[in-house]
Amino acid sequence: MSGGPPKALQSTGPQSLRDMPHPLAGSSSEEAVGGDSTPSPDLLTARSFGDKDLILPNGGTPAGTASPASSSSLLNRLQLDDDMDGETRDLFVTVDDPKKHVCTMETYITYRITTKSTRVEFDLPEYSVRRRYQDFDWLRNKLEESQPTHLIPPLPEKFVVKGVVDRFSEEFVETRRKALDKFLKRITDHPVLSFNEHFNVFLTAKDLNAHKKQGMALLTRVGESVKHVAGGYKLRNRPLEFAAIGEYLDTFALKLGTIDRIAQRIIKEEIEYLVELREYGPVYSTWSALEGELAEPLEGVSACIGNCSTALEELTDDMTEDFLPVLREYILYSDSMKSVLKKRDQVQAEYETKLEAVALKKEERPKVPADVEKCQDRMECFNADLKADMERWQNNKRQDFRQLLMGMADKNIQYYEKCLMAWESIIPLLQEKQEAKRYPFIGKNQDMQSNGKKYQLFYSSFLILNLPSPTSYKMALI
Amino acid sequence: MEQAAPDPERLWQPAPLEPLSHPDAGLESMVGEETKGARDEGPGDGTMTENNFSLKKIEISVSEAEKRTGRNAMNMQETYTAYLIETRSVEHNDGQSVLTDSLWRRYSEFELLRNYLLVYYPHIVVPPLPEKRAEFVWHKLSADNMDPDFVERRRIGLENFLLRVASHPILCRDKIFYLFLTQEGNWKETVNETGFQLKADSRLKALNATFRVKNPDKRFIELKHYSDELQSVISHLLRVRARVADRLYGVYKVHGNYGRVFSEWSAIEKEMGDGLQSAGHHMDVYASSIDDILEDEEHYADQLKEYLFYAEALRAVCRKHELMQYDLEMAAQDLASKKQQCEELATGTVRTFSLKGMTTKLFGQETPEQREARIKMLEEQIKEGEQQLKSKNLEGREFVRNAWADIERFKEQKNHDLKEALISYAVMQISMCKKTRLGVQMLSSCM
Repeated sequence: MSGGPPKALQSTGPQSLRDMPHPLAGSSSEEAVGGDSTPSPDLLTARSFGDKDLILPNGGTPAGTASPASSSSLLNRLQLDDDMDGETRDLFVTVDDPKKHVCTMETYITYRITTKSTRVEFDLPEYSVRRRYQDFDWLRNKLEESQPTHLIPPLPEKFVVKGVVDRFSEEFVETRRKALDKFLKRITDHPVLSFNEHFNVFLTAKDLNAHKKQGMALLTRVGESVKHVAGGYKLRNRPLEFAAIGEYLDTFALKLGTIDRIAQRIIKEEIEYLVELREYGPVYSTWSALEGELAEPLEGVSACIGNCSTALEELTDDMTEDFLPVLREYILYSDSMKSVLKKRDQVQAEYETKLEAVALKKEERPKVPADVEKCQDRMECFNADLKADMERWQNNKRQDFRQLLMGMADKNIQYYEKCLMAWESIIPLLQEKQEAKRYPFIGKNQDMQSNGKKYQLFYSSFLILNLPSPTSYKMALI
Repeated sequence: MEQAAPDPERLWQPAPLEPLSHPDAGLESMVGEETKGARDEGPGDGTMTENNFSLKKIEISVSEAEKRTGRNAMNMQETYTAYLIETRSVEHNDGQSVLTDSLWRRYSEFELLRNYLLVYYPHIVVPPLPEKRAEFVWHKLSADNMDPDFVERRRIGLENFLLRVASHPILCRDKIFYLFLTQEGNWKETVNETGFQLKADSRLKALNATFRVKNPDKRFIELKHYSDELQSVISHLLRVRARVADRLYGVYKVHGNYGRVFSEWSAIEKEMGDGLQSAGHHMDVYASSIDDILEDEEHYADQLKEYLFYAEALRAVCRKHELMQYDLEMAAQDLASKKQQCEELATGTVRTFSLKGMTTKLFGQETPEQREARIKMLEEQIKEGEQQLKSKNLEGREFVRNAWADIERFKEQKNHDLKEALISYAVMQISMCKKTRLGVQMLSSCM
């Protein structure tokens, strides 16, 4: 749990984090994790930036060199999420089964949240609760409040333009469900956030509203302190890396915004293309009705175009359902991250200002007053948390986008394969009876040369392409 | 080529019908005296006889197009395009070709040739010319006649026209056609000297016949119906296809916008940079591939257009039949009425109204001598009329027979050509899908 050792928590008894055994361990935490990962007192004092010297048991890089009180326990307990695989995970959360509820006052959708965990923070190994979007919103707010030094994943957009989007349509609900599932999974994967009390309550409480009303004040020590950081201090030196992160996020969000706009335009163009295709195909059918020998081939072409149209429709839907939401999610993510960065700046600014003030007063040297020390503490914790989260975010972002782009590529490949199949299947239909004829007409099998430009119709076109069975085509024509 | 210049009598005499090329005819089927419109390997050629026993093959091509300025009939400056027609004769055995003729013609001369053929071969489905003005354009294509792409497609269409005529068993023997290919100057005068414009049926007359004919051959009614429907459906198809092309162009081009933004994004990324860069590159390649795709599609559209215009040629044959049939019916009617008149005069009964009869009633009987004279005249007219009717009947039946033979030939050609067009279209789609799929696979592998 994230919280100072002395805090009394509601569901689990007060326990020192250091005393808590690793859920998967046999006897002692040290055994499970191995190596010298005893809580180091160093962690409680200020550390300098860029300290990547922490050596962890399996040689990985620190994932959560987080707030002093918790990091020690975390190091004891967890493998890093970079290496987290099925076996080391001890918390699984899923969002599914959306249901519509119609009440007198309003209509809304709830989702089933299923939790499976071996963690001690959970009384039962399994939970199943129903939550609505409001509840997720509440959770996120609480997380932001209680973990201000961390990056909280974004939620899908709250408001939808009524009349434009149907809040209860299958597509909308499914898109939202996926986003909510992702939200919870990201929290689950976070070494600090996943232990947050509010998160636990969200996953387990039968009546969440009762909890909301109780207004639990379960802030971390750091959270509490950061909450009350006064604004209005001027920042002197933003450390390079945070400046870089800020700039990166600005450009990143900008580029994603552009991509989102382009994607929407593409979808629009594809829909208009589809409209025309849907008229185009049937004209071949109409023609087919006039003909004798050509009836079957023309009907075949009509069906073929119909199949391609359907394939395109599926592709466009995929783009809307899978591609756009991820872009938007990362734009929202960037926005919330920037506000965390701002807060960090404020914390640093306060520290710097106070430090300066002290430096001017000659009396209280060399001992730095506790007040200033606390500020420094705050700042350094914030920096550490943020850095760790940034790195995790970068990794996840890489994975997510790789998955996204490859997923879209796959969907596109599937589209082309469907079209290929459709067209290839009518070739034999068209070729029927062609072999029998050798009509003595000219004009179509020639190599018309003029000004060096070759213009080849029909037959020669087969030669250029790598068709599966070129001979069968060529035979027919020559 | 020795051939009597077409004269009025020849008009209604069907050209000697050759049996159509047998499907199993060998590659070089020009054996013996009569050459048929046989096809050959290699560049398109037609066959024509210089004299009855020669085996010369010729190749026709419209190889160039050139912009020219000149003065038109009203002495005003105009710009037009001239096309170079080259004729090569191919020695039968060694396949070497020698340039025999080369001359420049403009579109209006092609039109003149075709109008001439329409008049002198009304029972033939005369191959159509490529369109005069660009129609069924989608936005990227210009509707300008001077546009190089349009000129290029027209050049191909004109070549196609000449090859079609040259490969037609009957049309290929026409002297005016031969002169078109070989005699640059003076050709126009030669054509006009045939006086074919005077022999052309007036549109009004044809329209009248269409409405009033009572008993046209059933097959022609069906054919007329078919050609109307064909025209309608192909027009519709071409219109929608143009819109489809337009939209597809839009889709591809917008993908091009991705190229730049992915490239810019890749600049701020460390590990993802390469993948994004290649994604951007792929997008650019994809966007630019639309030009070739649509160019190929234009060729498909041109093939459909040819048959759109062919439908009109079919219609023309039907119209001719209706005209002849109407003519026949009128002649028969006229004959019948004369016969009746004659009979009435002979028997003294008056059933039909005639002015003479009226005036006779009013103003007194005519003398027996007058009556005899009239009967005699009528009998002569009747004899003439019967002969005329007989020959008209014969002509009509010949026309129907010959026309129907050519229509059957046309049907086969149409079915074959359109199947080829569809196959080519399908092949094009397949190639496009494969190419794009490959591009996406390559993109995927870079990620």
